[in-house]
Amino acid sequence: MIQVESLSKLYGDLQAVQSLSFEVRSGEVVGLVGPNGAGKTTTLRSIAGIVRPTEGTIRVAGHDLARDPVSAKRELAFIPDEPQLFEYLTVEEHLRFVGRLYGVAQAPDRIPALLAELELTEKGAVLPGELSRGMRQKLAIACGLLHEPRALLLDEPLTGLDPVGIRKMRTTIVRRAQEGSAVLLSSHLLHLVEEVCTRVLVLVAGRMAAFGTMADIVAGRPDLAGRPLEEVFLRLIGRDGVQA
Amino acid sequence: MTAALVYLTRRTVVNRLRRQVARVRSPRYALALLLGCGWVAAVLWERARNVSGPPPSPTWLEFGGALGVLLLVAWAWLGSPDARVLAFSPAEVTFLFPAPITRRGLIHYKLLRTQLVVLVNVGIWTALVGLQPAGISPWLRAASFWALITTLTLHRLGAALVRTSLAEHGRFGLRHRVVSVVLVTAALGALGSGLWAAWPDLVAAAHAGGPALRGALARMAAQPGIAAVLWPLRVLARPLAAGSEAEWRATILPPIGLLALHYLWVLRSDSAFEEAAAEASLARARRQAARSAHGPTLPRRGRALSPPLFPLAPTGWPAIALLWKNLAAVMRRRRARNIAIGLVIGGGIVAIAPSRPGGTLAEITGALGLTWLGFVVLLGPQWVRNDLRGDLIYADLLRSYPVRGWAVVAMEATASAITLTLIELGLAILAYLAFLNDATLEISRLDRTLLLGAALVVLPPLNFMMMLLQNGAAVLFPGWVRMGAPPAGIEALGQQLLSTTASWLLLGAALAVPAGLAAVTFFGLEGAGETWAAICAAGAALLMLAAETFALVRWLGGAFERLEPGAARG
Repeated sequence: MIQVESLSKLYGDLQAVQSLSFEVRSGEVVGLVGPNGAGKTTTLRSIAGIVRPTEGTIRVAGHDLARDPVSAKRELAFIPDEPQLFEYLTVEEHLRFVGRLYGVAQAPDRIPALLAELELTEKGAVLPGELSRGMRQKLAIACGLLHEPRALLLDEPLTGLDPVGIRKMRTTIVRRAQEGSAVLLSSHLLHLVEEVCTRVLVLVAGRMAAFGTMADIVAGRPDLAGRPLEEVFLRLIGRDGVQA
Repeated sequence: MTAALVYLTRRTVVNRLRRQVARVRSPRYALALLLGCGWVAAVLWERARNVSGPPPSPTWLEFGGALGVLLLVAWAWLGSPDARVLAFSPAEVTFLFPAPITRRGLIHYKLLRTQLVVLVNVGIWTALVGLQPAGISPWLRAASFWALITTLTLHRLGAALVRTSLAEHGRFGLRHRVVSVVLVTAALGALGSGLWAAWPDLVAAAHAGGPALRGALARMAAQPGIAAVLWPLRVLARPLAAGSEAEWRATILPPIGLLALHYLWVLRSDSAFEEAAAEASLARARRQAARSAHGPTLPRRGRALSPPLFPLAPTGWPAIALLWKNLAAVMRRRRARNIAIGLVIGGGIVAIAPSRPGGTLAEITGALGLTWLGFVVLLGPQWVRNDLRGDLIYADLLRSYPVRGWAVVAMEATASAITLTLIELGLAILAYLAFLNDATLEISRLDRTLLLGAALVVLPPLNFMMMLLQNGAAVLFPGWVRMGAPPAGIEALGQQLLSTTASWLLLGAALAVPAGLAAVTFFGLEGAGETWAAICAAGAALLMLAAETFALVRWLGGAFERLEPGAARG
């Protein structure tokens, strides 16, 4: 569903991502992990069509993002870590706006259900400035889910959510994958990655340090067998000396 | 602590300058800088070449300056309260408010930061107005501008503090601000009564021509009440009209005294300052958290929201959603509401006022409508910014939507063009109705009707082209174009003047080809009758303008798709 081949991104002299290739298939959740500055967000933003890769190709649901960006973008949703909301549109109007952008004919039926699912029904007529951080995040998530994307890109999806919201979000991610979406999520919360992801992609300094299921990764590094993900992660990024 | 604040200011300036210089490495920015410098040099050279005529009379220079200052001061008290003058950035709130800094320290820091803008604008004004081969040196002229602009900036800050205090604390605030309120009320009363008394004289003089009008203005200014109000303003403007260094030395001390008085006035407001600044900063932080910078015009919490201008169907051309969003935003800003209320009140006055020559209320309304129309036509493209200049801070979001770049650019510019055109047409219709039965005007009613009809046809495409140019600047030079609200305040007038002039020059360049084609068509078909030739010429010009617009939209759309979103965030 999401195919990335030889993706590289340069910001001036800084090589943010270097020759990155991977695939996220329908129905799977891939966790993107790595230290700060590893290139996780740049990778997500490149796949979302926000930044133009310096090199490489990206395909979403078979559409080349460079050649047919509109078709590719119609199939995906990007939910950033910091919710970006238009301050003059109410909660419900945000969903109507996004519905039109993605041509969701069933939007009038889906909006109430989505608002109820994310516990925003009471806030439908409210501007984002009056919402708490968590509610704003929920609204951004609702906007991303309205058109039922086949590829879902999540950047730190649990930021700002309360424990109930976190549990619901985890369920939502898994359910979307079970319904056939390809989910690529970036997170520093390794327990979330361990819990919901079918495969893990470890990025270090813009390069792929490891990619696969935990079993695949451990198979390549027998010294990591039986270790929790946190320790595996620290060893992969070369910070295994860090004390708890 | 002062050292820390000075360090913060110094490093901010240095780092910002470095960033701007680094941008010039890009050929696009370098070319724009070169063109900009060339234009400024051409303006200065032209000014130096054309100083052979008689210099304006110092008395009228002083009087005109005083009137200009009066408008700015009146705006500080009567215009929309500008909380931005008090606002700190979220980082400043986080670091400075909990730090062991006195309120006065914060005020001084705020004034220091404002001085950066003041100094840039002093440079602009001195270059545009003050570089004359004769008279006082440019340095003295710059010092005069500095005293004037700094005093006005302090006045604006003081007015914002008084207004915020009154709004927040009601009668309690009134007791603490009684001197300011009494002085302002007395000044407004004197001006109002003076203007009312002088109005018939001014109207008659306006019909008689320039010298008579100057005489009427001089008589009005000589009235004791108005003279008292204008005195400090004349004092401020006087050094600018000085013709020699001796005259300048004799006139500069009173403005410095006024500046010192304003400084003390603002400093005495320190108790109100932190509270008002905290409130303004909180609002600003909230807006920034919402990733916006549209200025302090959010609807108040709990207030009913205006509905969007039109309903949005779930299917259809996706880019229409952007237009819908931007027009909904306009409807919900207090500024739009104030304009609409103003137009409705003006229309009401026109409807009930006696429609006869000399019908004072209708004439005042019509004159105000025309004056505002002039301002809106000239400055509206800078004020109305519900387009990419506000939305580029959401560049990540816009780029992730399944909409082509050209469609984004077209719909964003359309939103601003529609808003500006509606305001302009509203004011034009108001003025038209106000003077409907006035047979004393030089332009006949038929001609006025034709002019209004022409405005209906010409304004939409012209405004669209102008907004495309404005949006194009934001897309091509995101590091130089201020996103969100335009630079505000008296201290930033010079920057506004430069960007407005540059916009109009660009529009002129864009209109040159359609105008040329119209001229060729008209003279080519003149033999078949002037009316037909004029209609064909107008059609050809509009077609050429449409072709240019189409090409520009496609080109800017490509530039938008290549834009690095980080650049738009500065």
